[in-house]
Amino acid sequence: MIEVEDLCFYYNSKNALKNVTLSVKENCLTALIGPSGCGKTTLLRCFNRMHDLYPNNRYEGRIVFEGRDILDKSIDVITLRSSVGMVFQKPTPFPMSVFDNVAYGLRLKKINNHNVLKEKVERALTRAALWEEVKDRLKESALGLSGGQQQRLVIARTLAVEPKVILFDESTSALDPISTQKIEQLMVELKNDVTIVAVTHNLQQAARVSDYTALMYLGSLIEYDETANIFSKPKHKLTEEYVTGRFG
Amino acid sequence: MTKNVRKRRIKNLLALSLCSLCALFGLTILGWILFDVAVEGWKALSPKLFLKDPAPPGVMGGGGLKSAFLGQGLMTLTAAVMGIPIGILGGTFLAEYGRNLKVSAIVANLSDLAASTPSIVIGAFVHALLVAPFGGFSGWAGSVALAIIIIPLVLRTTDETLRLVPWNLREAALSLGASYHQVIWSIIYRSSLSGLLTGVVLALARAAGETAPLLFTSFNNNSFNWSLSSPTASLTVSIYQYAASPYESWIKLAWAAALVVTVLNLGLNLTARLFLKSRKY
Ligand SMILES: Nc1ncnc2c1ncn2[C@@H]1O[C@H](COP(=O)(O)OP(=O)(O)O)[C@@H](O)[C@H]1O
Ligand SMILES: [Mg+2]
Repeated sequence: MIEVEDLCFYYNSKNALKNVTLSVKENCLTALIGPSGCGKTTLLRCFNRMHDLYPNNRYEGRIVFEGRDILDKSIDVITLRSSVGMVFQKPTPFPMSVFDNVAYGLRLKKINNHNVLKEKVERALTRAALWEEVKDRLKESALGLSGGQQQRLVIARTLAVEPKVILFDESTSALDPISTQKIEQLMVELKNDVTIVAVTHNLQQAARVSDYTALMYLGSLIEYDETANIFSKPKHKLTEEYVTGRFG
Repeated sequence: MTKNVRKRRIKNLLALSLCSLCALFGLTILGWILFDVAVEGWKALSPKLFLKDPAPPGVMGGGGLKSAFLGQGLMTLTAAVMGIPIGILGGTFLAEYGRNLKVSAIVANLSDLAASTPSIVIGAFVHALLVAPFGGFSGWAGSVALAIIIIPLVLRTTDETLRLVPWNLREAALSLGASYHQVIWSIIYRSSLSGLLTGVVLALARAAGETAPLLFTSFNNNSFNWSLSSPTASLTVSIYQYAASPYESWIKLAWAAALVVTVLNLGLNLTARLFLKSRKY
């Protein structure tokens, strides 16, 4: 689904990713784990070219998605980002109504017919397990929702544009256990039709929800395998030490 | 030990009393001015003020300041139309596109400098630029002078307000496939609307209360016409000229105009405060 080939990334002269090669499987949940500062976020933000926003960031290598190298200059990042969505660590509701939040990406795609919008917004909110809670307050400001609801709203907003891949960057780390559980459950359900790459610093979470796990350390990919293998029979000493909590 | 404590307490009390006295002094003066303007202005206030043009001194019934109201309104509006878009777009450049550029920091500093330039300097500058070469005072020159006052104020409040919008909102919108200008229009301006309005209203209040930049540019006129190419009256210049005149009827007009300008300015400032209160970030 996504083939990362020999990817290096630089913030100015700082080399944050070193020759990372991995293959993300379609309709699976891939977890990126590793001690903080090891490059998980940096790798994730390559997948939707978010790094392009800042000057002096540089990619080397290839990331092949749907047959094309998405790091190529000729790729239109706007099209790319509507098929690779992203959910951030802190909820990022826009200062507008619940409905308008979910419709935001659709309107960017020039979908303005109210009935179509309504249908798609409802579908996205339902998929994000939020519809029942907000169906009577679609016109209210999204800033009035709880943190967990806001995060599910952001997921609904991302789902509304029907991306093929969703990137999660520690998206539950700012939430309470119950909201975290809801979102984990949601991620598991979503992978039936989207591919998910999720950064987490919570090993139990990775073990619970992911199919594949990649351990990173100092900008390099140490080990990448099915989650069961990573946790029960890791090949690298570093992986074993990390998953048993001896460092990190 | 206890002696030290007592000494400190006495020093504290002294400092507190001194500060309070100074504050009281300032407030008293301000209260006095406002009171005088209110009383004298109220006495002179009448519908004629808004409906009649100025009459020569001694003419029965006096005149009004219709031309000054219209002139002030038109010039402020024209200045707003010129200055607000430039200020907002310039501030947007500093806060967004040019956020990390060195030139932005320089422009921001220059703009602060411009905002604190004595307004009479701006008057003199526009006089040299638009009055002297074109052979006379004009409403256009007055508008440009007011716009020059508005631009740096709006530019800086825009810059500062936009920077308060959490950075991750931009990334969130971009990650949905928005382009940067769509992010600015649909997210950033919307999030900071009340802050932007505060800046605009405060700048307008400042411009509408200025005399010096108009004295050298639009000067004054006893009648109003919609083209800004002739000298144009304003309330502030009228107050300046009439208050300094020896004629009682003119002085009364000046008081009335002073009251109106003060109330307008207070109103604008209060409006700005209301906007500020409804700020989201
Ligand atoms: N904008 C940036 N500029 C320079 N260095 C950065 C920037 N962002 C992250 N880094 C560095 O890159 C490395 C990887 O960071 P990151 O990908 O955020 O780690 P993680 O998400 O695994 O905690 C760290 O050493 C960090 O200090
Ligand atoms: Mg991170």
